[in-house]
Amino acid sequence: MANQSRRNFLKTSALIGAGLTGVSSKPAKAAPNNILDENRMGVLVDTTVCIGCRKCEWACKTAHNLSAQSIESYNDRSVFKNMRRPDDKTLTVVNEYAAKGDDQFPVDVKVQCMHCDKPACVSACIVGAFSKEKNGSVIWNGDRCIGCRYCMVACPFQVPAFEYGKAIQPEVRKCDFCFDRTKDGKLPACVEICPMEVLTYGRREELIDLAHQKISLYPDRYVNNVYGEHEVGGTSWLYLAGRDFHELQFPKLGTNPAPGVSEAIQHGIFAYFVPPIALYALFGGVMWLNKNRKQDEHKEANHE
Amino acid sequence: MMNYKIFIWMLIVPFVINGQNKISGNHSTQNLTCSTCHSCDIPTKENPCIKVCPRESMIRIDQPVTDAPKIFVINKIRETDIYSPVKFSHLAHAEMSGLAGGCRTCHHYNPPGNVIGCSDCHESSRKRTDISKPDLKGAYHQQCMNCHRAWSGSTDCTVCHELKGKEKSQTSVVSNNKKRIHPEIKTPDKISFAAKTKQGKLVTFYHNEHINLFSLECSDCHSNESCIKCHSTNKTASTKTISEKIKHKKCSSCHNTESNCSSCHSNSEAGGFNHKSVTGFDLSKFHSKLDCARCHTSKSGFKGLNNECKTCHGTWTLENFKHKSTGLVLDETHSELDCENCHKELSYSKPVCEDCHDDKSYPNNLPGKRAK
Repeated sequence: MANQSRRNFLKTSALIGAGLTGVSSKPAKAAPNNILDENRMGVLVDTTVCIGCRKCEWACKTAHNLSAQSIESYNDRSVFKNMRRPDDKTLTVVNEYAAKGDDQFPVDVKVQCMHCDKPACVSACIVGAFSKEKNGSVIWNGDRCIGCRYCMVACPFQVPAFEYGKAIQPEVRKCDFCFDRTKDGKLPACVEICPMEVLTYGRREELIDLAHQKISLYPDRYVNNVYGEHEVGGTSWLYLAGRDFHELQFPKLGTNPAPGVSEAIQHGIFAYFVPPIALYALFGGVMWLNKNRKQDEHKEANHE
Repeated sequence: MMNYKIFIWMLIVPFVINGQNKISGNHSTQNLTCSTCHSCDIPTKENPCIKVCPRESMIRIDQPVTDAPKIFVINKIRETDIYSPVKFSHLAHAEMSGLAGGCRTCHHYNPPGNVIGCSDCHESSRKRTDISKPDLKGAYHQQCMNCHRAWSGSTDCTVCHELKGKEKSQTSVVSNNKKRIHPEIKTPDKISFAAKTKQGKLVTFYHNEHINLFSLECSDCHSNESCIKCHSTNKTASTKTISEKIKHKKCSSCHNTESNCSSCHSNSEAGGFNHKSVTGFDLSKFHSKLDCARCHTSKSGFKGLNNECKTCHGTWTLENFKHKSTGLVLDETHSELDCENCHKELSYSKPVCEDCHDDKSYPNNLPGKRAK
């Protein structure tokens, strides 16, 4: 947002407009690099293993230069009294749900950006500040953002957060799947620190196989559902749980990609650039009619 | 070029197949097929395609715990920047595991043979190609926390770990571990269970008799106990209703729980085991110091024996039986007689004098002297 002057933005918009007219025979797509790589990575979160130590929260803050308290302070379990959401200062949080029935342990669920395969934020962003990367991460580019916060409205998981507290150069913050670390061959910070290996990092396809393998090996332990396999067209982060996902506050979402509806309308209206041309044609027609009428009036006036 | 490759393969393949047929060492003594352990047709050293824990029935530890070091330093995970390696008291944990599944609780994937350590299967690097099983760090923690979290209710890392730079000295850790050995478990004498049935509401269980008289090992009954049975952080969890079937299961290995209810269930508190009242055979006189197994030799549980002396003492004859051991030394005339002349009953209890002596009877007149 910072380095984007009004002039630059108008230039890019004009370029995009020109580009669109150029390729108007192909429908526009959500992401610039929208072809999903078959080797894209993901994380399988096994909530039945998580002990709620919150080391991932600490590692995430440390890796993203957000102010973190001492690692020992994360042993404090009183934070679980309230349900928390990721925000601009905490990109991932762990929530705890009390043990139910015969269960021995409470269920701990890590929450962060799901890194959708068909991300609504990428689709909603009018300046292309969001992108879905080859390795599966959905990342945000501060140079382009104009702070419209459409991404926050669009996200089916309500993940992107805005630095409302900052007057100057506020940013949109969300989990970036540790893009800066993974591109150097490192693991995401949360995956690396997790003592229990609740978080298994691997190729998304392999993780889905692993998840189903686990379910068939331990049918008593897991519900027969991998959250994120099909939700909103699939997500890079996948979850296994021992009880119904909606009890753990996972939103009930269909299998259609979130941008599907909005893009269909938008792309329908703007297909082949017909509506603008039609609108201008209409204006042109009205103007032409008016011109004719004025000429007629002139003629009539001259006659008299 | 292609032909050359095919030729090489034709040379190699028979050797490979031949190699597969011979299962070496410990494997050969097992009733195994390749597919018991391997998921692919031709496993290789590089890709053994071993199935994830399919072999529960095979898991066995033959090595005594005393062969293993008392304390392990777990330092196989390279990334230890926050916490220093755990000094794990293996012996203490092995002893505690006695009631909870034994060695197999942790060595959960140990085919017969050498003891397999965690790092033999679980990779030490989290970034790895095979993600089907947890890495070493995950494996350790999943194993430890399963019990630790249950009985202490805490997930505090410093219970086991020390923060880097704040370590205590090695000697203090060793002495600390000595203190942390599980204290001896006090066993109850008897427990009264209340049953929900109308008849036979009470089951009096003599715990001491099952240990001392019937010489059961703790693990014969307590084979899969969780630490929280005693160390429950949440007392309500332990009062969970257990189905009758599960309650009966433990007793059913020795007792008939299907039909003979009254042998355990009664309306009032039952007395301890009394061989005379239950079986009709009095042990108190001569057999009180014997182990049950001296007479009940059948290995498939206790079975009733014929109460004739000959069942066990079939080899006794006039020559080798010392009558003195009964408390009575026979006089010369009586010691010549066959046993059956006086002992008409097969229980050899009371002798009959009247067959020879009209005017004598036992015990007023003795056929010898009382032994001192």
